[in-house]
Amino acid sequence: MSALLALRDVSVDYGPVSAVRDVSLEVSEGEIFGLVGESGCGKTTLALAVMGLLPRSAQVQGGIDFQGEDVLALPEAARRRLRGDRISMVFQDPEAALDPAFAVGEQVAETIRAHRPVSGREARRRATQLLTEVGIPAAERRYGDPPHRLSGGMQQRVVIATALANEPALLVADEPTTALDVTIQAQILALIRDLRDRHRTTVILIAHDLGVVAQLCDRAGVLYAGQLVEVAAVERIFDAPEHPYTKALLAALPTRTHGRGSLPVAGGRVPDLADPPPGCRFAPRCPVRMDACERVPALTSREAGHVTACWHVEAEAAA
Amino acid sequence: MSAVAVALRTRRRLRGRAAVGAAILVILVLVALLAPVLAPHDPNAIDPSRVLAGPDASHPFGSDALGRDVLSRVLFAYRVSLGVAVGSVLVAMAVGIPLGLLAGYHGGWVDSLLMRPVDLLLALPALLLALSLIAIIGPGSGVALFAIAVIYLPILARVVRGSVLGVKGEAYVIGARARGVSRTGCMLRHVLPNSLGPAVVQASVLMGFAIQIEAALSFLGLGAQPPTPSLGLMLADGYQVLQQAPWADIYPGLAIAITVLAFTLIGDGLRDHFDPRGVSR
Repeated sequence: MSALLALRDVSVDYGPVSAVRDVSLEVSEGEIFGLVGESGCGKTTLALAVMGLLPRSAQVQGGIDFQGEDVLALPEAARRRLRGDRISMVFQDPEAALDPAFAVGEQVAETIRAHRPVSGREARRRATQLLTEVGIPAAERRYGDPPHRLSGGMQQRVVIATALANEPALLVADEPTTALDVTIQAQILALIRDLRDRHRTTVILIAHDLGVVAQLCDRAGVLYAGQLVEVAAVERIFDAPEHPYTKALLAALPTRTHGRGSLPVAGGRVPDLADPPPGCRFAPRCPVRMDACERVPALTSREAGHVTACWHVEAEAAA
Repeated sequence: MSAVAVALRTRRRLRGRAAVGAAILVILVLVALLAPVLAPHDPNAIDPSRVLAGPDASHPFGSDALGRDVLSRVLFAYRVSLGVAVGSVLVAMAVGIPLGLLAGYHGGWVDSLLMRPVDLLLALPALLLALSLIAIIGPGSGVALFAIAVIYLPILARVVRGSVLGVKGEAYVIGARARGVSRTGCMLRHVLPNSLGPAVVQASVLMGFAIQIEAALSFLGLGAQPPTPSLGLMLADGYQVLQQAPWADIYPGLAIAITVLAFTLIGDGLRDHFDPRGVSR
């Protein structure tokens, strides 16, 4: 498998706020890569950086290679041609992501016409086909409905249809099921997996829900306060987590064997990103903190395909 | 398709006061259009035998100081007043909406470049602005229309700019960009339709005021010129004979009041529908 997307030391700053710091990772063609972390840790910022949709106030550094080409170096017109065509995005809240004054089918057709020189009728035909493919019953009749006539799950299917309109190589799904209830969530996740299996679309799935990641992803990366702390196959993230933050995150998951009482939580709070700790940003909350944590640890590997950025893990492995 | 959906929603919500306002307005527009058919007499026909004559069966609203039929004159005056009111707002919208849209959407120096002159217009008192325009160009109902449009332009531009600033940050606009829609496409297809609500509300209220401004200008002799029947002119003439023949003043005044009421009711109803948060207030 070759890397479809490679991030090289990507940092995003909003003025003094360091939202993402030196994130490097590779996503292979055809895989579903999970990006996990709590709210405000930079998941969405990273996704928007890949899309090229960050506000002008954000400064992006590093490199984002997509299909071997550094997209950060591309002019805006070329990035626009990528968006919705080879890279597309599904948003968290489908109700907010659909234009309330626009028929749902039109929004799919618009995506096609933004990139393909097709007639209005042909775009409509393809859009209807896409709506059917993502599981909207009577798509022909639904085509002209405004978004508010559809349920949340159906709205998210429309958003997914717009994202798939031009058969993208990469789909960035930013918490696609967070705004939906559990049964609908399962359907949407099944839909995403199904699409990957049929079209070999590479998916970056952003989630704060580890259960969603476990169900769907091949590999996952854990972000904490803008730093990537661990990347591994999903099984390893769950069975053999290395980074203390990943362990804390997993310990906070309710399990069937867990009795009554409160769940364990990691003490302390996420650092102020305007004034982050100089080294590992988890250090102030870390139970195994050591002096070396004043410096930023690099992602290092002990098992093939499993990298962790932690001085403690390195020291233990060396011992 | 979306326009149909909006129209459907609008129809469903246009109950109560707005429906009353709309009904009055429809009648008024019909009256204005059908004035030549409905008017019992020639509005400019002078009947010396009926100078300041009171209402009777063939002249329900009585006659004025020149013996002209007040009802016929009110009907014809409506055409001028409504024409000026609607026309001025349409002209102001045609210029103000693109200005506000561009300024709000692009922000930065484009905003400053477009909005500073608009603010300058806003700084001058409305009537003074109209008076100076008329002093330059000369009186007439066409000039009154243009003058009112100039008064309204900054108001509508600012309302549109305000709602564009809110809408352009909405997730669906970012969503449209994520689908590869160009900035201009986003502005025209997604930002504009969602920003129009407050401007439409404002426009309906402004039309009501336009009737008043047109009447005021005509009252001062700066709008429609005699013998063109105009509600403001009729008020000015009737004012001279208010004690002997109140009907010559009351009926044109009532006509203005009813029209303003209709526009205000419609404006209130549209506001509840399009602008529940009150951006245009």
